[in-house]
Order: sequence, then structure tokens, then C-alpha cells
Amino acid sequence: MSVPADREPAVELARSWRGPWSRADPAAALAMARHIAADLRDGLAGTGVRAAARSVRRLLDADGVGLADLSGIPVWAGTQPAGDAAEILVRQVLHAETRAGRPPLMALPLHVQDELAGVLLVHGNARRALVKEAAALIVESLQRGRLEASAEQAAQAELRALRAEISPHFVYNALTVIASLVRSEPDRARDLMLDFADYIRYSLARHGEYTTVADEFHAIETYLALQRAVLGERLRVQVRVAPEVLAVALPYLVLQPLVENAVRHGIEPHVGPGLVQVRGEAEGNDCVISVEDDGVGMDPALAEGILAGRAASDGVQDGPTKVGLANVDRRLRTVYGPWYGLVAETAVGAGTRVVVRIPRFQPGVMP
Amino acid sequence: MELNLWALAGLATVAFATFYIGYRSSRLASTTPDFLVARRAVRSSRNAAAVSGEYLSAASFLGVAGLVLKDGVDALWYPIGFTAGYLALMVFVAAPLRRSGAYTLPDFCEARLGSRGLRGLSTVFVVFIGMLYLVPQLQGAGLTVTRVTAMPNWVGSALVAVIVVVNVFGGGMRAITVVQAFQYWLKLFAIAAPTFIMCALFIKNGGVGTSQSTGLTEDLPPTFTSNATINVTTPVELQVKEAVWLLAEGVVDGAPAHGSTFWAAKTHTVDAGTELQFFTGSSVPVVVGAPADNASWLRPVPGTSDMFLTYSLILATFLGTMGLPHVLVRFYTNPDGRAARRTTLHVLLLLSLFYLFPMLIGALSRLYVPELLVTGRSDLAVLALPSKIAPGVLGEVLGAITAAGAFAAFLSTSSGLVVSVAGVLSTDVLPGRVRDFKLGTAIAGVVPLGLAILLRPTDISLTVGMSFALAASTFAPVLLLGIWWRNLTWVGAAAGIVVGGALVLGALVVGTVSDYTGHWAWPLFSQPAIVTVPVAFLIVILVSKATQGTKPPDVNRIRLRMHAPDRLGFIRDRDIARFGSPEDRARLANGRHRQ
Repeated sequence: MSVPADREPAVELARSWRGPWSRADPAAALAMARHIAADLRDGLAGTGVRAAARSVRRLLDADGVGLADLSGIPVWAGTQPAGDAAEILVRQVLHAETRAGRPPLMALPLHVQDELAGVLLVHGNARRALVKEAAALIVESLQRGRLEASAEQAAQAELRALRAEISPHFVYNALTVIASLVRSEPDRARDLMLDFADYIRYSLARHGEYTTVADEFHAIETYLALQRAVLGERLRVQVRVAPEVLAVALPYLVLQPLVENAVRHGIEPHVGPGLVQVRGEAEGNDCVISVEDDGVGMDPALAEGILAGRAASDGVQDGPTKVGLANVDRRLRTVYGPWYGLVAETAVGAGTRVVVRIPRFQPGVMP
Repeated sequence: MELNLWALAGLATVAFATFYIGYRSSRLASTTPDFLVARRAVRSSRNAAAVSGEYLSAASFLGVAGLVLKDGVDALWYPIGFTAGYLALMVFVAAPLRRSGAYTLPDFCEARLGSRGLRGLSTVFVVFIGMLYLVPQLQGAGLTVTRVTAMPNWVGSALVAVIVVVNVFGGGMRAITVVQAFQYWLKLFAIAAPTFIMCALFIKNGGVGTSQSTGLTEDLPPTFTSNATINVTTPVELQVKEAVWLLAEGVVDGAPAHGSTFWAAKTHTVDAGTELQFFTGSSVPVVVGAPADNASWLRPVPGTSDMFLTYSLILATFLGTMGLPHVLVRFYTNPDGRAARRTTLHVLLLLSLFYLFPMLIGALSRLYVPELLVTGRSDLAVLALPSKIAPGVLGEVLGAITAAGAFAAFLSTSSGLVVSVAGVLSTDVLPGRVRDFKLGTAIAGVVPLGLAILLRPTDISLTVGMSFALAASTFAPVLLLGIWWRNLTWVGAAAGIVVGGALVLGALVVGTVSDYTGHWAWPLFSQPAIVTVPVAFLIVILVSKATQGTKPPDVNRIRLRMHAPDRLGFIRDRDIARFGSPEDRARLANGRHRQ
């Protein structure tokens, strides 16, 4: 952008015209402030810095505005001052951490959480108070960007911490059953041992956050094979999944806790045989997976409490699995948004059906 | 047309089988008592049959034969283009698209370019292309049902729309791969078996020489092989190459005509409601614009205008296939990029096999049912031919089989389109994300039905050609450049989609208006791809170059994902077992050691 030689009249014109970006229009000023905040989300080294500098320049009605991060190389919008005056000022501010220079060239330090993050350079006759406010706005925006980034990190860390864990109860039972079969049915024991190894390998895998429905169903099958060895004829199982959804990506170990819940709280307390059905289907652009048992069921209010994470309130045994259900619910919501939680349908004596709905494609969710 | 019970039974069987297979495969589990491993991935060949089943639409089943009957050699570019589109898909798109993890076209735009705005824009065009493609399917269904049951046109359209929507509502489309694979084999049978029998009858009757028809290489117009009475329902212009005597009842050349009429060798206009009666052996007048004699029918048409039209068609079908919404979603079923490519290869073979038969039927129709040339309803060739070539029960049974196949074509393509359009609608347009799939389905079924009833039916293949042109001018540049060009930006992609789409839609509007007001438009308006596709590519490239600042920051990571070979394991968990004997490892690596 070139600056006319007789600058003063041009500025006067801009003020009297009161265009959409004129300072007297509060809506435009607010919108610009919002854009600055959005542009600075990635910090002073991010991609939006030039756009932010442009907005600040309009806000201040200055000839040029520069934003520099700690490297000391400013990104300019508008005209740069001639010579190396700006460079000297930036170095001065980075060194002393106080403001330097006077109109027509000023440099202000930007302190984010009591720590120097960069320098704001203003070239031209802008009001000092206004420049100070602009610097404060930039600091607020940078602060917000940092908070957002750290909130995201926290969510990621929580997601990692929430990964389901293998229940020691199950490991013990499985190994005992395998041990009892080693002499009488060595072949079956060997198959079960491989199942167990497979299951452990999958559960302990730490090489990514997401997997595919196909692998998740494989984990369920190994788990159910082991449980069938433990429970014998009491457990009947159907696993069925439409080929269309096998490739859908989803977080690790979302389905296994649901199946474990169905077996341990639906079938085990139940007298006589029970059936666990796992079904995966496509519905529009979503994939719907349901885990259903015809066991004892539970009070709907209790189920609601479990999903809301109030597992401890009933004070019964097997806390971990119930926490597991709430975990799955929260992980799904974190990854896919509030629409995609668990849905449980249950009543006392009527079995339980838990439905997971996930979109077939979600940006960032890749196995 | 009288009620044909055989054909009616055929239609009912197809409708029932579609429902039944859908339900059986989604309900099978309830009857299996024990552990049922259903986790196996679909084989490429079955997946390919599903892709072909969904792809072979009314345009392929009825339209290709009709165009061969009318335009001869030039029409062969349609089946070639419809098939060759998969070559482009296989070479350039299939594997990288599958590896990108995208399910729909908007998904791909978002995954590659990271822009919600572009996603919204592409959603609009997906819905538009889907509906534009649905309209001729429903119109073709109307045509078939009218032919078979003498009910008005809209009944058939409504019937197909209702069957599709109800089937989706009932969850019958959940096991969609199985249903669509079945539909392919059904269609192949329904066109191959009658063709074989008709060819056998044709040869048994002594071939061309003995019947009264004109040989296909002679420089003469086709002739009627029996007395034919033709009711003209829409006004037509007919070109007569050899003077004929005929009986006419109604308005001919602007004057009322009663009884015996002589037509000289020039162009005649016939108004709606006129009844024409031709005698055996007299030559057949042909709708203006189609080759009038058999020799020119068999030669490629000379002249630059037609040549441009042909190249335009080739470009539209070659690049348009990859932009059709219901084609891409099928590829998601493949476990990895290699399987996607292999599936496309199978699709090429299956389609090539299928398209042999409509061509044969088109050629036979030229001999046996030339009266279709008079009315311009050449799309009926596949349905009308059997009863002419084999009068009696055999002809009726064969006619029933082809009618059932045509019905299967409408059902499968419409189902695929309705499901894809409804999916996109419910995800991106309707509020609420989860509950509205049924509402989306209803919209995706009802709106095209309304359009199908309101708009004047033209040749099915031509309308379908238009949706190919639209797809080729909007999504093909985004897909090809998105996969193979590092510097694509979302601004460039959006500009290309808007400009390409606007050009094609403009041509569509101009063409339609000109159809209603006396055919004044340049023929290129009916197939504008040769202009719009290069323009769209150019716009995408230029605007992307100008807006390099908006390039997505993770472009390298995405491109690595799309282009890295599958065995490097960017898609699946490639964690191979590291213990046991080699056989154990092999079994474990497949993830299925329990047999």
C-alpha cells in the first residue's frame, strides 16, 4: 500500500468519511478485535500474524504496524520506517522489556503471563492511549491462544489417561481356565493362549490413539472366546458387522468395555444361559454399533448415573467397568462432539442394549 | 399397450427380492445360534459387483440400446465413456482417495484442504448432482411401467421412489454391498439371456437377408418389418429419405390429415395426438438429427460440430465418473488402497462385459422395431424388441426379463443415490446431525420425484450425460489436483467448483429453454464439458497459485498418507506377531487364527 505524500488530508478524509472500518463505528471495531484474536491463535510465529498486523493498523489509523516474536524479525503491514530504526528499537525492547521510541515510531513489549512474548511496532501518528489499548488487546489474544492450546493438550492427555485398562479379574480367570485345559485339551489351550496374547497385545498397544472397527471387533472376538472358555455353555455370542463399516476409524478400546460390561453385569449374575449380541451397521454417514445382552438388566436411573460418572454411589462391586462405561462415553464425546455419546436402553430383568454411534469420517480421526 | 402379466410379475419379483435380501442380510444373525465371525472384509470381486450394480443405471440398461438404435456408431461412445471413467478412477483416484480415509466428497474436501466453507459448497453440488442423476432414473421407471401396465408415467416414478425410500427407512439398505452385488448379476442376466436367445432366433430366421428389413450396411433407410400403428404423443419433426405412403389421422405439416397420405422425401412435422399407420416394407421416417439411412448410421458422423460433441462427451464421462456421489462411497468398503484399485479393475471388466449386450440389442432393434425411430422414444428398444422378434409367450417372457432388469437398474441406482444424498443432507445441511437421516431420505426421494414428473423426458443418456458433465467440471479438478498437486488451496478449489458448476448449469438452463422454444441453441449446450472442464481446471490452478497463503499447513502429512504404499501401514494396524512358527505368524497377521 503506498502512502500519499500529503498524508494529513488523507487521514482527515478517512475520519470524516466514516467508512465501515472507521474508528467511530463500534461494530467494525469489535469485529476487528475479534479477527485479531482469531488471527493470533497460533501465537506470534503462526500463520495469521500478517492479517493481525493489518487489522491493528486499521484500528490505529497508523502508517504501518509491525509484530515481532522473540526472534526480533517483525512482520509488517503498511509502510515500514526507512533505515534500521525499527531494528534497533526491537532489539532495545527485547533487551530492556520496556517501551521504546516515540512517535512516529514506537515499540511496545508484549508480556503474556508475565513473560516477554514479542514486540509491537507502530509507525505513524497514532494516539498513545490507543496504542496501549491495542497492545493490551494483542496480549489478551495471545493469552487466549495459549490457554486454548493448553486446554487441548489437557484434553489429549485426559484421553490418553482414559484408555481402558484390562481388568485383573479377567486376566486371572482367563489364565486359570487355560491352565485347567492344558492337560485335557492341549490344542484348545494353545488356541486360547494365542487369543490371550492377541488380546493383551491389542490392549497394551500404544502406537496411536485411533484404530479401525475391524481391529476393534477382532479384540472383541478374542475377548469373547476367552470368556466362553471361562463361562462355558452359559455364554452364547453373536458378532455381526456389515463390511461397509469395517474401515471406520474410532478411538482404541471403545467397544471392548461395552462387551465386558454386558458379560459381567448382564450374563454372569444371571442364572442360566445368556446371549450377547454385537452388531455393527451403516446408517447414512454414520456407523452404528450396538452391544446387547439378555441378562439381568438394571434400573434406568442407575444406568443414567453410571453414564454420568456417578459410579461410586451404588457402592457395589466392580467399580472399574462402570467407570469404563463413563470413560467410553466421555472419550466419544471428546472426539466426536456432544452428539455422539453412548445410548443405553435397559430395565430390570429386560437385558441391556448399549448403542455407539460414530461418523464414518471425522477430520483428524485416522487409524 | 395392454397389460403384460409376465412383465408385471417380473417387476414384482425384483422389488421383493431387493427387500428380502436387504432384510435377510441385516437380520440373519438372529437365527444363528453360536459364534459367528462376520468380520471378514468384502472380496474385491464382490465389491466390484456392488459398484457396478449401483452404477449401471437406466441410462446403461435402456439408454445405450436406444441411442445405438438412433445414432448408430456415434452412440458407442456412451458405453465406452461410462466404462473408461473407471480407468481414470483406477489410475488417478481410487487408491489415494481410499487411503485418505474420506467417505464422501465433502469429507475429502475437508480432509485435504481443511476448510468448512469448501465442505458446505461441495455439499451443495453433491446434492445437486445426485438429484440431477435421479431425475432420469425416475423418468425411465415411469417409461417402463407405462410400457408394461399402461398406467400413466408418474405412477412408475412414484413407485420406484416409494420403494427406495421405504427400503431405506426399514433399514434394508444397511447391508448395501450384498444387495447391490446381487443387482449387478440380476441386470447382467436380464440383458444377457434375452440377447442370446434373440440372437439365436435372428440367426435361425436366416439373418438379415431373408427378413424384409434393410441390411445394416445398405445406403437405405430402415424398413418396417410389419404393419405399424404409431401414436404421436409429443410433437416431432421427421425426416423422410424415401417417399412413403401411409395412413395419417390428425395434424401433419400444420394441416389436418385424414386417411391415405403421401410423404415426399423431405422433413415433415407431426403434431401431438396424431395417429400414423405404416405398411410392411415401407421405409421408416427418422426423427430430425438422427442418421436417416443405415449406411450413415454405421459410419461416424462427419463434421466438426458433431466431433466436438463427441469429444465433449468423452471428456465428461471420462472425468465425471469420479465425481458421482454414489460411486465414491462404495470405495470406502475396501480395506486399503490396493484393494480399492483392484476393485476398480474388476469394475472395468464387469462393465465391459455388460455393455456388449445393449449394443447388440440396439443393432437388432434397428432391424425389428424401427417404429421407435418415428416417435423418438428409442429408450424403449430394450423393452419392445423381444415381443417383436419372438411373438407369443417366449417374447413376453423375454420382455418380462428385460423389464425386470430395467426395474432393477432404477432401483439400485436410485437407492445408491438416495442414500448418498440423504447422508450428505443429514450430516451437513439439516440441523441436529443424528436423528435426521430419515428426513434426509424423504427429501432426497421426493424432490427428484417432483422434478421427474414436471420436466419433459428426453433421452435418458443425454440427461445422464449432463450430470456427468457437471461432476467432471466441479469435482474432477478438485479430486485430481487435490491428490496430485501439492499447491491446491481451498480458495482455488472453491473457485473452480463455482465457475465449473455455474457454466454447466448455465448451459443446462439455456439448453432447456431452447428445447421448449424451438431448438435454437448451439448443440454444444447439451454437452458443454469440452469447454467447462478445461476452464474449471484452469481456474483452480490460477486461483490456487494466487492464494498460496491459504495452503493447509499439514499438506505434506496428508499427501504422505494418500500416496505412501499400503504396506507401510498408514491405514491399518500392521502390528505383526513376533512369536510362534511361521504358520502361526501368518495366521495371526490376518487377525484370524480361529478358523
